[in-house]
Amino acid sequence: MCAATSFAQKSPTEDKNTVFIEYPDFPEAHSTWGSIGYNAASNTVHIGVTNHANNIGLYTFDASQKTMKLNGFIKEMANLRPYQWQGKIHSKIVAAPDGSIYFSTDGGESREEYLMEHPQGYAGGFFMKWDAKNGLKNLGIGMQYESIKDVDIDPKTGTLYGITYPQAHFLVYNPEKNQMRDLGRLASSHVPRVLFTDWWGNCYYVDWRQRLVKYEKDSDSLVFAREALPAFPGTPGSKIITGVTAYAKDEAKGIIYLVTYGAKLIAFHPEKQGIGKVEDLGGVIETGKAPAWGPYVPNLNIGQNGKLYYIIGGHGNYVLKDKTVLVEFDPATKKPTILREYPTTSMTEATGSDIRDKDGNLYFAARRRTGEGDSSRPFMIQFNPEKEIRK
Amino acid sequence: MRNLIQNILIPALTLASSAPLFAQYEFFTPKDAFAIEVSLPNSSEKRLPMYRNAITSLHVQGDRVIGGTTAKEGLSPYLFVTSLSGRKMLAMKDLQETIPGQKAIATGFCKGAGNVLYAGTLSHSGKDQQAGHLLQVTIGSGDAIEVKDLGSPIAGEGIFTLLSNAQGTALYGISYPSGKFFTYDIASKKTQVFDEVAPKEKELKNAHDFAVGPEVYLCKALIQDSKGLVYGSAAGNRIFTFDPAKKSISFLETPLPAVWGREVLGQVEAWAKAPNGKLYGGNAGDGQLFVLDPATKTIKNLGKPTMMPRLQALAFGGDGKLYGLAGGAPGYSHLFSYDEKAGFVDLGNPEFKMVEPGIEQGILWRGFQLSTLASSADGKYMVIGEDEALSQLMIFPTTK
Repeated sequence: MCAATSFAQKSPTEDKNTVFIEYPDFPEAHSTWGSIGYNAASNTVHIGVTNHANNIGLYTFDASQKTMKLNGFIKEMANLRPYQWQGKIHSKIVAAPDGSIYFSTDGGESREEYLMEHPQGYAGGFFMKWDAKNGLKNLGIGMQYESIKDVDIDPKTGTLYGITYPQAHFLVYNPEKNQMRDLGRLASSHVPRVLFTDWWGNCYYVDWRQRLVKYEKDSDSLVFAREALPAFPGTPGSKIITGVTAYAKDEAKGIIYLVTYGAKLIAFHPEKQGIGKVEDLGGVIETGKAPAWGPYVPNLNIGQNGKLYYIIGGHGNYVLKDKTVLVEFDPATKKPTILREYPTTSMTEATGSDIRDKDGNLYFAARRRTGEGDSSRPFMIQFNPEKEIRK
Repeated sequence: MRNLIQNILIPALTLASSAPLFAQYEFFTPKDAFAIEVSLPNSSEKRLPMYRNAITSLHVQGDRVIGGTTAKEGLSPYLFVTSLSGRKMLAMKDLQETIPGQKAIATGFCKGAGNVLYAGTLSHSGKDQQAGHLLQVTIGSGDAIEVKDLGSPIAGEGIFTLLSNAQGTALYGISYPSGKFFTYDIASKKTQVFDEVAPKEKELKNAHDFAVGPEVYLCKALIQDSKGLVYGSAAGNRIFTFDPAKKSISFLETPLPAVWGREVLGQVEAWAKAPNGKLYGGNAGDGQLFVLDPATKTIKNLGKPTMMPRLQALAFGGDGKLYGLAGGAPGYSHLFSYDEKAGFVDLGNPEFKMVEPGIEQGILWRGFQLSTLASSADGKYMVIGEDEALSQLMIFPTTK
């Protein structure tokens, strides 16, 4: 299925199309975990940066002014008590048409899952809202003791969707009425990755068979796809159950591109009612060495040229030894091209789905290892595949 | 503190973010354990639909696992049959076809004569609320599920709890929501009602003060000792006995074990009879396991397997150990074992492999909300039923 991978220009770090942007005023900053999103109302990118223990900074990058600013720390802005500690923002950051942004918080793992009502236990993840004028508003806990791994929004109604960890419950929250509904567990052993919405405001996740599960807003019900999303033969069950790791939308063409934990690229054609057509675009890369389902891609962006851009690698899983690679994928030819190679010391991994500003710049939330163990520094990548980035 | 964060917390938290599930613990995954997929919407496979499959009754009959479910409001429950050797769903039956308006089969199955089973139902709440019904369930040829409606033993009341006697000739139950004890003679179909165990004004006020309803204060499980006495709990943290010969009810002097100040939460929600005749019980209020000696009518508190309240199920395995399900929402259920020598062993969330058509490579199924437990008659298997929007069966071997 994979077209042969070609290699283009390579650069170790920044170049005229690529800028690495640091987060100021947070010396302990450690990482970002999918906690990035674009706000069309203000042409801003918002990022949640964590010390990966108990402190999260909320940043805004003004794409017009080229400035990165710390808005404040979540625990202070949300008036959290020590027993309401939060490990990070794991969700993407979604924007409403009025320019306010929404996201959710996450506990981490061991302490979150097992201490629960212990004094050092985890109270649960919160839905939160922020805007530049009014600051942060805490919208409350999703489920007691559970993290909220990802959120999305129906921009027409303001309804928020959430997926929890570790129990993978699908939540539907109406902020206006403060109505939280738990539609139940959708899978089992895995760390949930992304929810995504279509242009009608329906929201999607996957079940344990990697079948799309759609919250269909018109019928107020869950619709399960009959067939599983494409997967390479031999894809392990742990990859199947995890499902989609990132997405990017091409609304003009009516396509939502998906990348799976089993390294498949998929063109999904959503429909207002029911599940739409699913098209297998092949693998994210062809190495000829490792299993096709092996590469790890926790990010996906789409350029104004309609091509897909993603960074492969992370968590010790790299297709080139000790290197992450930036790949361009043309859906028309189904051909992946490696554009850049980065030593893992300059970029260890990157996350983020569908973040593009008015100038066509794409954004990834990245980190680089800084020493022994898991110490790292987060930074943001601004990448324009077609033109030099204006500084 | 900074060193603590760098050395311990950051590595621990990092693992959660995007990598496969790693942690500082091991799951209970005994060799030859497996999960059977019984719930899956929009499938060509025989599967229960969403929100109608919380497994609240279980029985193992030879190779067959018989399940009864609880549905969400407005939906009807199912009966289903799976094969242990075939590891697959064989048959299912929508209770709506036989008795409309029911919500739950949550009493467990009681064994009658031969292979006949009995269960009780709870109906949906609301202004058109119906009574619960007694069901007679048999598995016919080709694993067809046959259900006979035996009617409602108490007008306007559901059946919260049910037990059959050792001979399989009589049923004992607790009605819902009033909490009356009743007997039902299977041959004559006659019901006799006893008011003594129903909560009185004082207990109802206490329950109101603690913001708990009949699901919390009514007896959720009954058991019969070797001499035929029936035991259950009553509001006020008490244990009652019913003597079928004298048709009389009395109360034990020893209360249920309790955490101070929380006696109002006392409720037996599981029993298991040991080979030596002692009765092991689970107190929902604070999750204590206790043992009742029928000879002395005394209760010994064996402690709490986990920090959480609830102890939803108990069953002896073929290995001689007592297995149970402690805890539950808003936390997770923990499978535990107990024997007199080792005491409690917390086995946590079980995680078994599920292999089904379309997922032949297998996926790991981790059980979070577990509600029912049943052992096979030959002692080879322990079967766990989940209580979820999409619930599955989890099975592990318990042979010595």
